[in-house]
Amino acid sequence: MVKGYEVVIGLETHAELNTESKIYCSCKNQFGLEVNTQVCPVCMGMPGTLPTLNEKVVDYAIKMGHALNCTINPVCKQDRKNYFYPDLPKAYQISQAEVPLCQNGYVDIYVDGEEKRIGVTRIHIEEDAGKLLHSDKFSGSLVDLNRCGVPLIEIVSEPDMRSSAEAKAYLETLKSILQYLGICDCKMQEGSIRCDVNVSVHKPGEPFGTRSEMKNVNSFSAAVRGIDYEVNRQIEVLESGGVVEQETRRWDDEKGVSVSMRSKEDAQDYRYFPEPDLLTIVVDEDRIAALKSEIPELPNKKLIRYIKEYGLNIKEATAISENVDKAKYFDECVNTSNVSPRSVCNWLLGDIAKFENANNISVWNTHLTPEKLVELISIIDSGKISNAAGKTVFDIIVKEDRDISAIIEEKSLAQVSDSSALEAIADEVLSLNEKSVTDYKNGKTNALGFLVGQCMKASKGKANPSMMKDIILKKLSS
Amino acid sequence: MNIDIKHIAKLSRLHIEEEKQEKFESDMQKIVEMVENLPDIEDAPLLDASNPITLRKDKAETGKYTRDELTANAPHVTAGCLVVPKTVE
Amino acid sequence: MDLLNLTGYKLSEMLKEKRISSADLTEAVFSRIESVEDKIEAYVTLDKENAIKRAREVDDKRARGEALSPLAGIPVGIKDNISTKGLLTTCSSKMLSNYVPPFNATVMDKLNEHDIVVTGKLNMDEFAMGSSTETSYFKKTKNPYDISRVPGGSSGGSAAAVSAGEAVMALGSDTGGSIRQPAAYCGVVGLKPTYGAVSRFGLVAFASSLDQIGPIGRCVKDTAMLFDAICGYDPKDSTSANITHPSYLNSIKGDVKGLKIGIPKEYFSKGIDDSVKTAVLNAVKLLESNGALVKEVSLPSTDYALNAYYIISSAEASSNLARYDGVKYGYRAKDYDGLIDMYEKTRSEGFGDEVKRRIMLGTFVLSSGFYDAYYKKARLLQRRISAEFSDVFSDVDLLCAPTVPTTAFKIGENIDNPIKMYATDICTVTINIAGLPAMSIPCGYDDKGLPIGLQLISNKFNEQTLFNTAECYENLIGGFKHPEI
Repeated sequence: MVKGYEVVIGLETHAELNTESKIYCSCKNQFGLEVNTQVCPVCMGMPGTLPTLNEKVVDYAIKMGHALNCTINPVCKQDRKNYFYPDLPKAYQISQAEVPLCQNGYVDIYVDGEEKRIGVTRIHIEEDAGKLLHSDKFSGSLVDLNRCGVPLIEIVSEPDMRSSAEAKAYLETLKSILQYLGICDCKMQEGSIRCDVNVSVHKPGEPFGTRSEMKNVNSFSAAVRGIDYEVNRQIEVLESGGVVEQETRRWDDEKGVSVSMRSKEDAQDYRYFPEPDLLTIVVDEDRIAALKSEIPELPNKKLIRYIKEYGLNIKEATAISENVDKAKYFDECVNTSNVSPRSVCNWLLGDIAKFENANNISVWNTHLTPEKLVELISIIDSGKISNAAGKTVFDIIVKEDRDISAIIEEKSLAQVSDSSALEAIADEVLSLNEKSVTDYKNGKTNALGFLVGQCMKASKGKANPSMMKDIILKKLSS
Repeated sequence: MNIDIKHIAKLSRLHIEEEKQEKFESDMQKIVEMVENLPDIEDAPLLDASNPITLRKDKAETGKYTRDELTANAPHVTAGCLVVPKTVE
Repeated sequence: MDLLNLTGYKLSEMLKEKRISSADLTEAVFSRIESVEDKIEAYVTLDKENAIKRAREVDDKRARGEALSPLAGIPVGIKDNISTKGLLTTCSSKMLSNYVPPFNATVMDKLNEHDIVVTGKLNMDEFAMGSSTETSYFKKTKNPYDISRVPGGSSGGSAAAVSAGEAVMALGSDTGGSIRQPAAYCGVVGLKPTYGAVSRFGLVAFASSLDQIGPIGRCVKDTAMLFDAICGYDPKDSTSANITHPSYLNSIKGDVKGLKIGIPKEYFSKGIDDSVKTAVLNAVKLLESNGALVKEVSLPSTDYALNAYYIISSAEASSNLARYDGVKYGYRAKDYDGLIDMYEKTRSEGFGDEVKRRIMLGTFVLSSGFYDAYYKKARLLQRRISAEFSDVFSDVDLLCAPTVPTTAFKIGENIDNPIKMYATDICTVTINIAGLPAMSIPCGYDDKGLPIGLQLISNKFNEQTLFNTAECYENLIGGFKHPEI
């Protein structure tokens, strides 16, 4: 609820698929190459050329359909969406209208510790358009067609979201699912995920308000800003006695405003009709089932498992599960050993994350294999080295393929757990700190910490701290 | 059936000269009157599962055409790009 | 002996036996072009220099004893909507008047492998929309039998060139009769193959679900030779059929004994000239007297087919022709104010009236609020028509009908009356709607000496029955007769 209004949000999310070739021709599907070099007569829309559908696009869309619990339509078709624009060489986009590849699904998201189910209306396949380049120095616009025919899936949600936070959680969940499936690079800065946002507001108990559609939303944080702006704009319109128009608006993230592109009256008439150059898509049931079996455990499922089985908190569970690399690493450590998931989590989100960020690298590309981390944790747990010494070891084995025990040996990191040696240290420290001993006996319990600290110092940090503490206590109470 | 020739021309990105407007309108009228005579048939999706599409393997081909060859027919090319009137203010 | 009154099949034998050379034959074709092209105006672009060069290369290959196709060295004209790498492909439109494709249509690659000699690009109705070749931006092709009359269309240049000896054979394309109708008007043989038999890759699209490239020749065997070379699966055309084709030429049996022929009564009802009706029924009688079994059949939805055809073809055309916007290729208006104005001026100046009419009709039938009543209904009717043909073909092997209800009309006679012009397609469009193969072969002349076409229709991928029946009939009536120009 915002200012007494309920907010209704639906999202149309476009994800570029990371296939080798384009959707309807054999041109390379790659971002950032020199203008008009990844084109051919087909994606340039030359007279007489015909599209051929890339098998992998169908597979990837079906996988996403499975991941979002959709019904897969084994018989579907492609349609033409007709409109004129210089980035669309054929003047129609091949998409799916009447029968999409996937429909009637849902995805569970987590917002503020609550689970929420968002309906997925449909997922369909289509082609991306080219790009227009503008320069103040040049009187015209320049057309680069490299992106024409890059495969997209469009994921259309039900109007099930009630806040920009839910929209963000939904988008983040989709992103991590796409990464888990390995079908999209999810590089936001390259536009590999984009969305159109439908927003309306209404008073509680009243029917849904008129919605506006916002285009040009290029990041998740822009989606949040755009939605918040649009919600406030619509409420202001209503509060001042106005009517919200059904229209298409463009989000200008730099200025932080949405501007009207066209109203319902000027709505484009896309004249959809079945693409006559492509026959009916028929996917056999075995193929659909085989693709389903390739779907890994998905991030939203993992999240719940991490909380319930391993006692991680929501923040930790989210941080690990939403990142396919981290989750895989975590699972491998936990599944192949008896070390505590808590320790693995602490390392993964602590020192490992720090190292990853500092070096812009994934843990998988360091020398710290899951086996190494498990070994390190086991050694620390056994008391052979201290936590502090553990960090010293970590700093080495993350960068070099070294044997842990050799490092402990070389750097003399092993803890002293021999009680006669520890007693000798204790005796010496107690005799040098009589005042503290007296303080303790007079009830100043924090003197204990000081004394243990002195012992650790005397041992050059190698004393086993819990044994040391026990010995001091024993001596003080005798 | 009245056909809004101006609206249809706009959707088609065509401009019909004033002096031809009337002839176009009456021709279109007659053609539409002719073709609209169709029997009623039960609705069904336009799918034909008996004649399915053959899919292409996901394999990229490069170097078949140079950019110059592909833009050789374009009326206006600058720096390898096709040029159109400005699309933004 | 005038080489150009001989059939391609005969010339192929002579080339093989080295009684003539391809260079001589090609020279002969070009000297015929020089003498009659002024009157006929069949070509948009001639490619003499390359043709002679190519002919010599083929002669050299033959001299070296290389195994060659029966088509090797035969001069063939190409309809100007079939993409030819490095050679203008205009679709007889101002819009593409300067367009040179950077690639070959699949049929051109195939014909090159067969060592044919391309004479040039043949005139047509603009973007294949028309039935008279009068909508060409460049010129009006004349009927070799009477140059005051149209050659038919849209492949009018192809049929006229073959009839007049300006090419030995030609490729045309047929969306609603565009091969068969001009073949009938010009007294030659034309085949519209089964939808999917010939790759459409590189054929500039008019109506994608109906278009097919096909051969035009002076005799049945010529069309079989050319069809053998161009048919077959093409991975670049998703609608091409993944089947193996036999050599239709080598399988021709000129015998109709026991052949079950159906006479669809709807094709003989209204608007058909008596001379056409008589000629077609006489042809059927001749086949019957040679052992065919004839019965009347019914295709009840035929009356609606023309309507469905104009809806479907125009809808697809409105979308297919939207790409001509002055950005990537072709014509761009000289003066304009902004993007939309550039689009509108370019398209209004670049397209002729008939193309504009079809684009607008197609835009209308797809537009919001009208789709279901027009486009969807037409597509549903298309299924019903196909089903009716399936039923009939479970009973008979072949259908016989007129190709066109009349003989060639006068230039200018129908050009201002689209409805009358569209009605000339009445016997041919249904075949495209159903995706079937059909052939037009000459079956006599009317009282003005104008050729009449007999249309043979068979079930999908059963071109062989067409070739067999047509060959039998052709042998009975004595084959191609060339017009006096």
